[in-house]
Amino acid sequence: MSNEKPEARYQRLAADYRKRIAARLKADYGFRPDFVALLLIQDDQEMLQLVREKEPEAWTEIAGLVTELKERLDEPPAYLIARYYQARASRLAAETICCQKRSAVADFQLQLSRLMINPVTGLPILFLILYFGLYLFVGRFGAGVLVDLLEEHLFNQRLTPWLTGASNRWLPWPALRELFTGEYGIITLGVRYAVALILPIVTTFFLAFAVLEDTGYLPRLALLLDRFFKKIGLTGRAVIPLVLGLGCDTMATLVTRTLPTRRERFIATLLLALAVPCAAQLGVIFSLLAEKPAGIAVWAMIILAVFLLAGFLASRLVPGDPPDFYLEIPLLRRPLFSNILVKTGARIKWYFLEIMPMFIFASLLIWAGRLSHLFDLLVRILTFPVRWLGLPAETAVAFLFGFFRRDYGAGGLYDLKKAGLLSGNQLLVAAVTLTLFLPCVAQFLMNIKERGWKVGVSISIFTLFFSFTVGFFLNLGLNLLGINL
Amino acid sequence: MTEINNVRKNGKRPFEAGPGRPRLALVGSPNVGKSSLFNRLTNSYLIVSNYPGTTVEVSRGQARIGEVEFEVIDTPGLYSLLPLTEEERVARDILRLERPELVLHVIDAKNLERMLPLTLQLREAGLSLVLVLNIMDDAEKLGLRIDLERLERELGLPAAATVSTTGRGIDKLKEIILTAHEQRKT
Repeated sequence: MSNEKPEARYQRLAADYRKRIAARLKADYGFRPDFVALLLIQDDQEMLQLVREKEPEAWTEIAGLVTELKERLDEPPAYLIARYYQARASRLAAETICCQKRSAVADFQLQLSRLMINPVTGLPILFLILYFGLYLFVGRFGAGVLVDLLEEHLFNQRLTPWLTGASNRWLPWPALRELFTGEYGIITLGVRYAVALILPIVTTFFLAFAVLEDTGYLPRLALLLDRFFKKIGLTGRAVIPLVLGLGCDTMATLVTRTLPTRRERFIATLLLALAVPCAAQLGVIFSLLAEKPAGIAVWAMIILAVFLLAGFLASRLVPGDPPDFYLEIPLLRRPLFSNILVKTGARIKWYFLEIMPMFIFASLLIWAGRLSHLFDLLVRILTFPVRWLGLPAETAVAFLFGFFRRDYGAGGLYDLKKAGLLSGNQLLVAAVTLTLFLPCVAQFLMNIKERGWKVGVSISIFTLFFSFTVGFFLNLGLNLLGINL
Repeated sequence: MTEINNVRKNGKRPFEAGPGRPRLALVGSPNVGKSSLFNRLTNSYLIVSNYPGTTVEVSRGQARIGEVEFEVIDTPGLYSLLPLTEEERVARDILRLERPELVLHVIDAKNLERMLPLTLQLREAGLSLVLVLNIMDDAEKLGLRIDLERLERELGLPAAATVSTTGRGIDKLKEIILTAHEQRKT
């Protein structure tokens, strides 16, 4: 809508001040002086600071002119100027665009888009996507069928026996044999976890995520969830880092940078560390509880409740204003198959290069720890809190792994479950506790990098105690109610 | 330029301008296809997504257009030269401090009206500019027809219509870049 009034008002007053301010700018700012002046008029704090440093003599005068203009206009100059640009843009657009009839495809897309955003239809659509994309494709197919194929048929039946035989034959020192093919060896544990357990899960997740991403569903999800996120101090904008967190929380913490306020960035970082499981964790948890659909439902409800409660409390406790939200919505489109493959490939490569050395390093660390008996000592210490959760002492090892990496810890549970050491209740308690457990080392470092030492360390300590508390009460509750999953 | 050293503390500090390859900077609001265009120009691969705000780090690459080697910089999303978020500040710093020879303002053609304000700002800031109307196929599906020549005339800028995911219009864009580079030299 073109509106002459603000334009005229702006022209008359601001143009004059702008010229006078520009004339006093002597340093080089990388923009034309009269544009720098325009930014100053709009209260651009960064620019004001810069000019203050660079123009020590003229600064008082410049600041005086900026204040004077503000007082003479009835509205903040930033509004007036934004309206002025918009009016010019609208006029230009009106002169250069002409409309024809929309294509039938576009009509259908717009209709579908509306259904995705409307809560009445949008929430069921979201549920379907979670069920088919996350549960069936990642959980049952990736973490079930594919893991079974690689783990059982490739590693346990072929690779491991063959390599163990080879190492027994060629490696004369038992300690060295232990390093490669022992219980926690580089091949038997590190490479097996990475290749047979984590790789298929992460691959299926990134594939599903890439499809959602390229269809343009995520911005619509952001609009759908905006009203709920407002209650926890966030906006729909946080959907993107949080959903990405279901893939990798470390990557997602980096993406919290796209959130506009410090408060939102803090809340999102906390939620990612506490209540958003990563794909590897999710996949392993789905397969842990595969025969117990009720367990998955309880697990999901607890994690969701913790997510909402933590967000709600954080939004109350962290000072700051409720944020605004505005998002570009691209058209829905059919994803390009090649783009999905290349993108998934790039993400898997990023992920794999990050975990592979970590997993090998973990095997080395455990090996050194076992030689020096430190490992056994730590496991013994951890058996105490693990017992409070009603879990068998063997789970302590999985929790020790969990200190290192989330997916590694979940992987430890997977082995215990296969050995038939955990009951349904115990699986649920362990799954919940490990989901809420510490962020992995990479995410912890990212938290420190993005939010600073104090926040990074506090979040880790908080999640450590919080996860055990929830696990403890969950176990207590299940026992008191006499529930046996 | 000592200010470069204290503007950004978190490792996203712009490089100082200096001799070397002429620089092309890609700017624009989130989700208009800057990264995808970057890939087209540099033949490299950045993860491209159909959601806003994917580019958090600044990417750099090289593009050979005609006989000229350019350095191409992909910037995080920018709605306005009056920045609100950290990403916007990073993008603005690049424009201010790295002195790109040419700035490609990439816009979503179907949202021309909403995106032109930034074009006007960039022009007023004194940057040499090319307007890239990307995702032209969507605009056409919606029945929009844009008079490119008239737009060029009114703005006094060269403009190109592209579809960065399929490569449509990229050759024309390269021609424009080269012409602008030649004019700059003479």
